[in-house]
Parts: sequence; C-alpha cells; structure tokens
Amino acid sequence: MSVAIDCQKLSKRYGRSKVYALKDLTLQVKAGEIYGFLGPNGAGKSTTIRTLMNFIQPTAGSATILGLDIVKDSVAIKRSVGYMSGELSMYPKLTGAQFLDYMDELQPATSQAYRQELVKRFKADLNKPLGDLSRGNRQKIGIVQAFMHQPAVLILDEPTSGLDPLMQEVFYELMEETKQRGAAVFSSSHILGEVQKMCDRVGIIREGKLIAERVVADMATEAAQTFDIVFKEAPPLSALKKVKGLQSASHHGNTVTIHFHGELSPLFAELAKHKILKLDSRTLDLEEVFLRFYKDKGGWE
Amino acid sequence: MRPIVKWTLWQRRWSAMWWSVGLFAFIFINMVFYPTFKDSAAQLAKSFASLPKAALQLFGGSSDFFSPIGFLNSQIFFLMLPLLLTMLAVSLGSSLIAREEQDMTIELLLARPVSRGRLLAAKITGGTIILAAVSGVALITVVVTARVFGLDGIPSSAIALAGFNSFLLAYCTGAIAFLLAATGRARGAAIGIGAMIGVGGYLITSLSGTVGWLKTPAKALPYNYYQSEAILRGTYHWLSALFFVAVVAVCGTLSYLVFRRRDIA
Repeated sequence: MSVAIDCQKLSKRYGRSKVYALKDLTLQVKAGEIYGFLGPNGAGKSTTIRTLMNFIQPTAGSATILGLDIVKDSVAIKRSVGYMSGELSMYPKLTGAQFLDYMDELQPATSQAYRQELVKRFKADLNKPLGDLSRGNRQKIGIVQAFMHQPAVLILDEPTSGLDPLMQEVFYELMEETKQRGAAVFSSSHILGEVQKMCDRVGIIREGKLIAERVVADMATEAAQTFDIVFKEAPPLSALKKVKGLQSASHHGNTVTIHFHGELSPLFAELAKHKILKLDSRTLDLEEVFLRFYKDKGGWE
Repeated sequence: MRPIVKWTLWQRRWSAMWWSVGLFAFIFINMVFYPTFKDSAAQLAKSFASLPKAALQLFGGSSDFFSPIGFLNSQIFFLMLPLLLTMLAVSLGSSLIAREEQDMTIELLLARPVSRGRLLAAKITGGTIILAAVSGVALITVVVTARVFGLDGIPSSAIALAGFNSFLLAYCTGAIAFLLAATGRARGAAIGIGAMIGVGGYLITSLSGTVGWLKTPAKALPYNYYQSEAILRGTYHWLSALFFVAVVAVCGTLSYLVFRRRDIA
C-alpha cells in the first residue's frame, strides 16, 4: 500500500514559546488505513492536524500528503483531502443545505447522488439554520461536507463528538466503506473504544511527542496475557517477578494483576505452588494501554 | 474565488441594505431642508461669516453654507457622507477576514482548494462591491434630491466625482483596517485604529488650517487628500487621489504578504 500521509520529524513551536507543541513527529499512514491519534487535551493532536492542513506552519521537519508537501503544495493537496474540525464552527445563519452548497461550490462533490445518500444516512436536517441545530446535528452536516467529495485522504478531529450511538454506528460503517475504497484516514479521538473499533493502528501522543504506536489487531494477542489472580494468602510477588515473560505486576492486598507475554507454562507452574481463590483473564483494551502510557502523567477526560 | 465572493455578499446582504436605507434617509432629510434655507441664504451667510476661523475650518474653511455648492458640501460631502462610508469600510475591513478567523469558519474555506491569496482577493472583492453599492445608493440619492429640492447649478458629474472621492477615502481607511486584521491582531484594534485614522484625520486636517504645526502630520492622513468642495467647484487636483490608490495598493500587498504564511488563530 502506498503512503498517503508521511510526517518526518514534524515540529511546531508557537510564537516565541520555547516549548514545542509538537516535537519530531514521525509517522506514516497508508492508503486504505485508518489511523487513530490519541492523547488528552494539549497533547498535540490538534496541532498535528492543523499543521497537516497548513493552517499553521511547521517550525521544523516536513510532511507530505499523497506525495505533496503540506506547505508548498497545500492547495493541490486540498483537492484530495476531506477535513473535519474538532470545534466544528459553521456559519450559524446558513441552513445546512446552503452550507453544503457553499462547500460544494468550493470543492464539487463527486456526485450529487452521493451527497444525498450521506444526508439520508445521517438523517441530516438541511432546512434549519446551522445556529439552531444541536451539536450532534451540526456534526452530521460536518461529516457530510468532509466525505461528500470522496477524498483520498480524510483528516478528522473528534469526528463522532456529539453523535448519538445510532449515528456513531452509521459513521463506523462509513469509515469502513471509506477504507474499502482505498482512502487513508487520520482521526483524533478521545473515545478509546471507538478507536479500538474503527482504527487499524493507533498512535499515542504525549506532550507533543509520539510515544507509542500499536496495531489494533495485535492487541488481541496481548489481551489473553492479562490476569487478575486472588491468592488465599500473601501473594508471592518476588517469585512471580522472576517468571520469564512477566512484563508488569501490581497488587492490592491479595489480588495481583499480571501483564504477561510468552509461554504460559512457567507462570502456571509458579501459581501451582500457591493457594489461589480466583483467576480471571481479561481483555487488555486500548484504554489500559493508554493509561499505562499516561500513568503518573495526569488524567484522561 | 467566485463562491466566496457570492456567499460573502449573501451573508452581508441585510447589513448592506440597512446601510443603504440609512444613508438614503440621512441624505434625504438633509436635502429636504434646503428650500427653507435657500430663501434666507444671504442673511444666514452673513451670520456664519462672523464665526471664528477655527470653527469655520471644522466646516470646511468656508462660510458659504447656503449656496447650492456650499450647502451640499457642508451638509453631505464635507463630513457626514465620508464619515459614514468610512465607518462602513472600517467595519468591513476589520471583519471580512477577522470574523471568519474568530469564528474559525476560515478553516472550512482553507480546507478546500483555495489559496490564501485567493481567499484574500475574494474577501476584498466582496467588501469592495458592498462599499461601492452603498456609495452608489448614496450618490444617486444626492443627485436626485439635488434636482428635486432645487440645488441648481451643480453638474451631476461634479456630484458623482465628489461621491467617488468619498468612496476612495472610505476605501483607503477600510484598507488600513483590513491590513491590521490580516496580520491577525484583534479585530477591536483594527476597528479602533481604522476609526482613529478616519475621524482623527478629519480633525487634524481641518485644524491644520489654523494650527500650523498640524500641517505636516496631516499630510500622512487620508482625509488631507479629500477635498469635496474643490471637486464640486471643479478645482480639485486629481493627482491627490493617487494617495488613496497608493495606500490601498500598499495595504493590499502587505495584507497578502503577512497573511499567506502566518498561523491561523
């Protein structure tokens, strides 16, 4: 698969600030891939997106979209990009229909039939002024404007914010179809379950730096390796820590949570030496991965 | 570019219409009183001639308020029409780009294949059309009411040129506000500085006739090059209007240079 978005040490520092809002971001998103971008407020997600869209200028590094430079070829890039802002500011006095007409005139939809189909699927109300619509209903129109010209690359900031669960499902279907037609999607989100559900890969950003990337499918392998064990007596922590494959262990009283990678026999051999009241294996979800990276680094909204 | 111009005009259509209605009313109400003054023009002129020189400067430096040209100049062209058009131009200049940026709708436009240069050009075009349309309504109102209420002896072409000069003065001040807004500074600052140049320019230029040291700073202000009475009397040097053209060209160019690569707030 060809590379749709390619960032090389992309950095951004605002004004005279000495602190980088984005530092040496290197990542790639391939055509036909959905990339989830995770991080709390102020981590650098929106800065990354706004730099890719050339709303703000990179301080250092470079990035290309479909092989074109994000600064020099910004206008050419926009012919193939669909964008949705996290703030979703629209013209409050325009109706949804007028707003879509305006956007359509600036970048014509591939087919009016597809635009109508999107409006129908999302049950978007096009007759009321945008200022009179709820956040969720404005979001639907925001989705239509981003997807209606069937762009090769989509850059989305919190795309399902405000959508009800039914419309979220419609959105996930649309994302899957978009992926199937070969488009690349770069989407930030706060909703970890959503990212896990719709993305192929996730990147976690903290203080402007990409600190981890995960292939979501691989996380299923990790899921089987998490155990919550309740010992009848004091847990044998020092012995458990010596077991080959144990990545981390934490305990509350007699309950131990183990993240384990590799062959399980040595672990069970050690456990067999002790009285165990309960053993649960559970899914290591994205939230847990995320929280492990953010442990001791502030909260999550 | 055309869609941005079209939708800018559409969004501001009511505002433009109310400005036109307001200017029509202002001009009509002023002109309707001319026949009353006309009959006692000689007596009134004698009274006004005794005003101090500094006070006369604020009305254009002439005590001729009641001849057709004097009345038209003092009531319409000397202060109020250019001032009102300047207010409109400053309001447009400070908001055409800045409001889109403040509301973050500018991202919707720049997310489309629209260069920043084209966005600026479209906004300038939209603003120019609105200002020209409102100025046009004002001008037609003056020409028609001048005929209806008996301001005889002033060629329509002279009135048209005075109206055009008012438009240029306002456009020039609006261009300064547009430049300030294009740099990303607060919209309030663009309005304040634009209005200060407009109104302050009138005061400094008017008083420079009696206060000698104000002559030099007055030369840097647009109002100094706006001489409505001279236009109505056919003695205006149109080279003076080049000042407006030059300011607009410089502001337009600088707006593009600062806006094309700056961070959108």
